[in-house]
Amino acid sequence: MTTTGTSTRRLSTAKAISEGIAQEMRVDDGVFVMGEDVGAYGGIFGATGDLLGEFGPERIIDTPISETAFIGAGIGAATEGMRPVVELMFVDFFGVCMDQIYNHMAKIHYESGGAVKVPMVLMASAGGGYSDAAQHSQCLWGTFAHLPGLKVVVPSNPYDAKGLMISAIRDDNPVLYLFHKGIMGLVWMAKNPRSIGIVPEEAYTVPIGEAAVARAGTDVSIITLSLSVHHALDAAEQLAADGISAEVIDLRSLVPLDRQAVLESVGKTGRLLVVDEDYLSFGLTGEIAAIVAETDPTMLKAPVRRLAVPDTPIPYARPLETFVLPKTDKIVAEAKQLIA
Amino acid sequence: MSDDIRVDRYRGMVRIRTFEAAVLREYHADKTPAWDIGAGQIPGEMHLAAGQEPVAVGICEHLRRDDAITGPHRPHHLAIAHGIDINKMMAEIFGRATGLCKGKGGHMHLFDPETHFSCSGIIAEGYPVACGQAMAFKREGSGRVSVAAAGDGAANQGAFHESLNLAALWNLPVVFVIEDNDWAISVPRAASTSVASNADRAAGYGIPGVRVEGNDVDAISEVARQAIERARDGQGPSLLEIHTVRLWGHFEGDAQAYRGAELETLDERDPIPAYAERLKAAGVLTDADVASIADEMSGEIEAAIEFAKSSPEPAGSDALDHVFA
Amino acid sequence: MSVEVIFPVMSEKDPSGEGVVGTWFALDGERVVEGQLIAEVQVDKVSADVEAPASGVLRHRVAEEAVSNQGAVIAVIE
Repeated sequence: MTTTGTSTRRLSTAKAISEGIAQEMRVDDGVFVMGEDVGAYGGIFGATGDLLGEFGPERIIDTPISETAFIGAGIGAATEGMRPVVELMFVDFFGVCMDQIYNHMAKIHYESGGAVKVPMVLMASAGGGYSDAAQHSQCLWGTFAHLPGLKVVVPSNPYDAKGLMISAIRDDNPVLYLFHKGIMGLVWMAKNPRSIGIVPEEAYTVPIGEAAVARAGTDVSIITLSLSVHHALDAAEQLAADGISAEVIDLRSLVPLDRQAVLESVGKTGRLLVVDEDYLSFGLTGEIAAIVAETDPTMLKAPVRRLAVPDTPIPYARPLETFVLPKTDKIVAEAKQLIA
Repeated sequence: MSDDIRVDRYRGMVRIRTFEAAVLREYHADKTPAWDIGAGQIPGEMHLAAGQEPVAVGICEHLRRDDAITGPHRPHHLAIAHGIDINKMMAEIFGRATGLCKGKGGHMHLFDPETHFSCSGIIAEGYPVACGQAMAFKREGSGRVSVAAAGDGAANQGAFHESLNLAALWNLPVVFVIEDNDWAISVPRAASTSVASNADRAAGYGIPGVRVEGNDVDAISEVARQAIERARDGQGPSLLEIHTVRLWGHFEGDAQAYRGAELETLDERDPIPAYAERLKAAGVLTDADVASIADEMSGEIEAAIEFAKSSPEPAGSDALDHVFA
Repeated sequence: MSVEVIFPVMSEKDPSGEGVVGTWFALDGERVVEGQLIAEVQVDKVSADVEAPASGVLRHRVAEEAVSNQGAVIAVIE
């Protein structure tokens, strides 16, 4: 794709991610990509599209189905000065390779007293809503955010996706980069219009650890991430028609977490709705609520409301899956409960 | 003293044994009267490699300082043979701020970027990391190699099998080592492994595999030389299964009831006195040499103990450092 | 003078068969530059990028997610 110099150049999130990777690979020989079907296929969800053609099979490497081995290999290469970008096809697959992720990738820097760095990006697809059922629809960022030593970033849109990928590659720490399939802008999956967006052509960064105000408002804070940002923005439009001004905070990073953004928003509105497509209990929604409770519960005018997947595996049949996912209509209903 | 390479091998093994014996002494010294694993100046688990010195010395003889090794939970012999700073290593075992990892890692998590040495307490998980190091070395074209060492029990873990396949597929400059000391804690190899020798499994992945009997540092060195040269020459990975002996327990505190009668004659299998006898018979070493080497190593190791004991402990709040770079 | 933007032929077996204009990256009425990525189309499970064959103002002829045919005119550039 040629450089066009236009300021209205749009990309899907998938193409934005692969552009970010490509731009870093052009300036840093140590960056390479490894994973299943990342080469000729371009990644099952398009995150590495067109990279093989430009960089060749020595730097865009298709692996066998050996997650422990190739994630471990990413770690080893990173400790020897390279900057691997390793794709775990579905975050749900972490079960077969979790030791390398949380006991090695995440802990080597600490265990070595800072002597060894692991500048690696582990990217994975996440999320449901297209009937892929229990083992292929999970979000799981709460599980990873809970374990010390790895940064966790979760973009919601093409602009942030490219900037966070570039930041993640440049970061000297292991970064888990989770992209919801529903934000990728794929032609073969129902997509929210915001999964296509204007993306600057030059390389740029989005800081890790900073949330964004996706929509400013005064009556209720909807704090969320990933695809749920889109649903929350759609909900905010509906709420506005009913005279409710909803503020939507896009967390963008879970580790480090922008606690200040949470407190500022809730401090302003006094009403907190946390929306998370991950499981409800022992996760992100509880963490956000705790941040408010341990800082100043008096800032709340109403109890915190948490909207997440209700501690069930993701079911297959559409009415069942729709029932558990925290989509727009539920967000509207929860926000109205908060105002009532 | 003769400048025969075998004297260096003997010295290397004595250094390791002296280190392990000193750690053994210090580890148990203050866990009395009731033995409490968490008590004392060296708390936690301790896995010592007495008897396995020939493996470390035989392999590391052919490694450069910038070749990489990933080791298992029983790592000291490999680290010492590869050239880690003994003082810093001892200080790390004692949990001091001057330790290799500032007290953050301890005995099973020794990391030394200068010698590209690392180890892990998770069985077999060093094999994939060694594959990655080999990928980096292959790319840079410097001829560096990586060595992954683990025990007989590790050869039944998925990471081992995935790594052999991957290294063979991508022709990586890595040497996979299995230190077969007959026991995975209390489970003998015959009760865990479907084949008589893991060297046979190598064929299943299309790589050369060799089993070395006898726990003899000379034989090990020769086999290691060939495998390491293969890797350095770009001919890819190989597997070395080295039959050795675990003279002490799996961990300190292991009563080893499961070993039965074997315990009574275990000392006869100690490779170091046996090697000394061979070298004396060959006229390469004298009794005086043996004594002077023992003194030299004792001095070196006791100095390390002294360094460790006189080093400060880290401040508690240092625990918050180094989560991220 | 307008330049046609053609739905690429992606199927050897059925070169005029159906496909979908999955995504318009450039909106109707927007100015585009030659070579710019303007659309992503799909035939069966295979997707393809469509780049602007010329510079100018883009006029859609087929809506996003609408069915079209390989070889059909999906837009013009004025």
